[in-house]
Amino acid sequence: MPQIVLQNIKKSFGAVTVVENLNLTMAANEFTVLVGPSGCGKSTILRMIAGLEALTAGEILIDGKPVAHLEPKDRDIAMVFQDYALYPHMNVARNMSFALRLANYPKKEIESRVKKVADMLGIESLLARKPAQLSGGQRQRVAMGRALVRDASTFLFDEPLSNLDAKLRTQMRAELALMRRRLEKNMIYVTHDQVEAMTLGDRIVVLRNGAIQQQGSAEQLYKTPVNKFVAGFLGSPPMNFFDGTLGETDGRLAVSGQDYHLPLPDAMRARVGGLKDDKVIVGIRPSAFTIANGDPAAGIRLDLPVVLPEYIGSQSVIVSRLGGQQIQIEVSSDTPLGDNATLTFTLDPRSVYLFNPHTEATL
Amino acid sequence: MSRYSKTNTTVFYTILIVLCMLSLGPIILMLLTSLKLKIDIFNDVSTFFFVPTLKNYRSVINDPSLMRYLGNSLYVGLISTITTLVMGCMAAYAIVRFRFMGRDVVSLTTLLMRMVPPAVLTVPVFGIWTFQYNLGNSLNGLILAYVAINLPFVVWILQSFIQQVPIQLEEAARVDGANPFQVFFLVVIPVIKPGLAAAAIFTFRIAWNEFILALVLTNRATRTTPVNISLFLTEHNIDWGRLMAMGMLIAIPPIIFTFVASKQIITGMTAGAVKG
Repeated sequence: MPQIVLQNIKKSFGAVTVVENLNLTMAANEFTVLVGPSGCGKSTILRMIAGLEALTAGEILIDGKPVAHLEPKDRDIAMVFQDYALYPHMNVARNMSFALRLANYPKKEIESRVKKVADMLGIESLLARKPAQLSGGQRQRVAMGRALVRDASTFLFDEPLSNLDAKLRTQMRAELALMRRRLEKNMIYVTHDQVEAMTLGDRIVVLRNGAIQQQGSAEQLYKTPVNKFVAGFLGSPPMNFFDGTLGETDGRLAVSGQDYHLPLPDAMRARVGGLKDDKVIVGIRPSAFTIANGDPAAGIRLDLPVVLPEYIGSQSVIVSRLGGQQIQIEVSSDTPLGDNATLTFTLDPRSVYLFNPHTEATL
Repeated sequence: MSRYSKTNTTVFYTILIVLCMLSLGPIILMLLTSLKLKIDIFNDVSTFFFVPTLKNYRSVINDPSLMRYLGNSLYVGLISTITTLVMGCMAAYAIVRFRFMGRDVVSLTTLLMRMVPPAVLTVPVFGIWTFQYNLGNSLNGLILAYVAINLPFVVWILQSFIQQVPIQLEEAARVDGANPFQVFFLVVIPVIKPGLAAAAIFTFRIAWNEFILALVLTNRATRTTPVNISLFLTEHNIDWGRLMAMGMLIAIPPIIFTFVASKQIITGMTAGAVKG
């Protein structure tokens, strides 16, 4: 099974360069998720791997073999499109078997493969229908099925769930996660949804303006983001950021701002050594705050105002203020919240992230 | 309120009836005349009251040359339609999807050709066809002329249909292993079938009804039906009965053709292809 390598790939549309000097190696049978905000070049990268977009420079290797000059049909790939792209004049069965028919597979084998995949996706009762007679979720399954019957070495997914409603999306995401365990294939998945990225990907590649910010497992990216962008992109609600100034209190390193003072772990001292001045950006995840329970050893105590409580079921998100910024705090929904109340939270100093205000790199 | 809508309906139906009479009147007149004997045609009294006869139809159908001319018309109509569609859809696809120099100019100027009335073309076409390429008096020469006349419009009409084919469909087909021809014939053509049908109706009817070019480019053997009918008007005699019977008969093939082709014109051909 091949491994996919992108070597110094570059893509320009006229004067606009979308991707420049991008290098990426994907291990065999890995589920790679390219994630980033819209316009970051993730779909373009996928389309270059598919062969739908020509490279301006660079090379793509699949299993050590350069493929950049090959037509999509010669790359042994299958792709699921964002807008499904089902052939409207063919019924579901013919949509799914299109590639096999083009490749002159025997009729028997086509039938058995289509049936197998249809069973797997739960669309066997829809095989005779035309795409126009299907719901969005069913169309998505058919689009998925059309790729799966191919038995290609590499599967590409271009935001396949973005057109589904929230409930269906969650359901399809779970099915995809199950499916990927059964299939030993290279999969490359493009999404702007960080939840999809984190739940599905073995390797998550965070992109911004056509450049890789960081790659790794969901846990690596969530716990040790390399910069402010990655820290802010992964996690929901997103990480809170505010300005701070480094200082010393009783011989301990601390960061403080207009309305807060946070002592920092000693391990941080070595990392902030290279800073030009004492200005930093402080980042704290909404889930890092816990309601104080009176135990003084629990961490830093903070009294924070409740600006707006948002009840979202199992959790509540409290909009509060810290460091002159609005911040979000995630608490259990049974926390009693009054209007304009002030709540006391504790915060583990180890969950405080510091970023270089000039380079935005994590300290 | 109801009073208002009642007047409205009355006006609506009045307009409808007038329009129907305008379009159906000549056809009814043609039908009635074709069923009359010569004596009834010229008799003012029997405009509506006469003994219908099929004599005119019998005489027209029994004319041995009729079948030949109908055959000529069908041959010219069908072959020129097929040729125009094949060339037209390929040209339209190229204009819509390919990037080449002068693409926009080509796209904009195709229609200019249609602004030249065929009558203006008659003399030069006759000269070039007859003296330069020896295509005069042949059905193929006539087909060539009709293809040239209809092609710009067909390219133009099909362009808009091809533009509506989502590009993702073609990309999906390419990833599925289709070569450019398979993409075109297996994916694009079936999706633009309504456009092809509309273009086919249009080109077939032009080719079927065209008179001036057919008159100058054909001879006794290669005449098409409209030219043949015109020969019923002679210096000494106008045989209105036969003329009208013939008129009724030659209206039938285009009607059949239109019904068959318009079955293909269903809206929402691309429904379900991509998320709208």
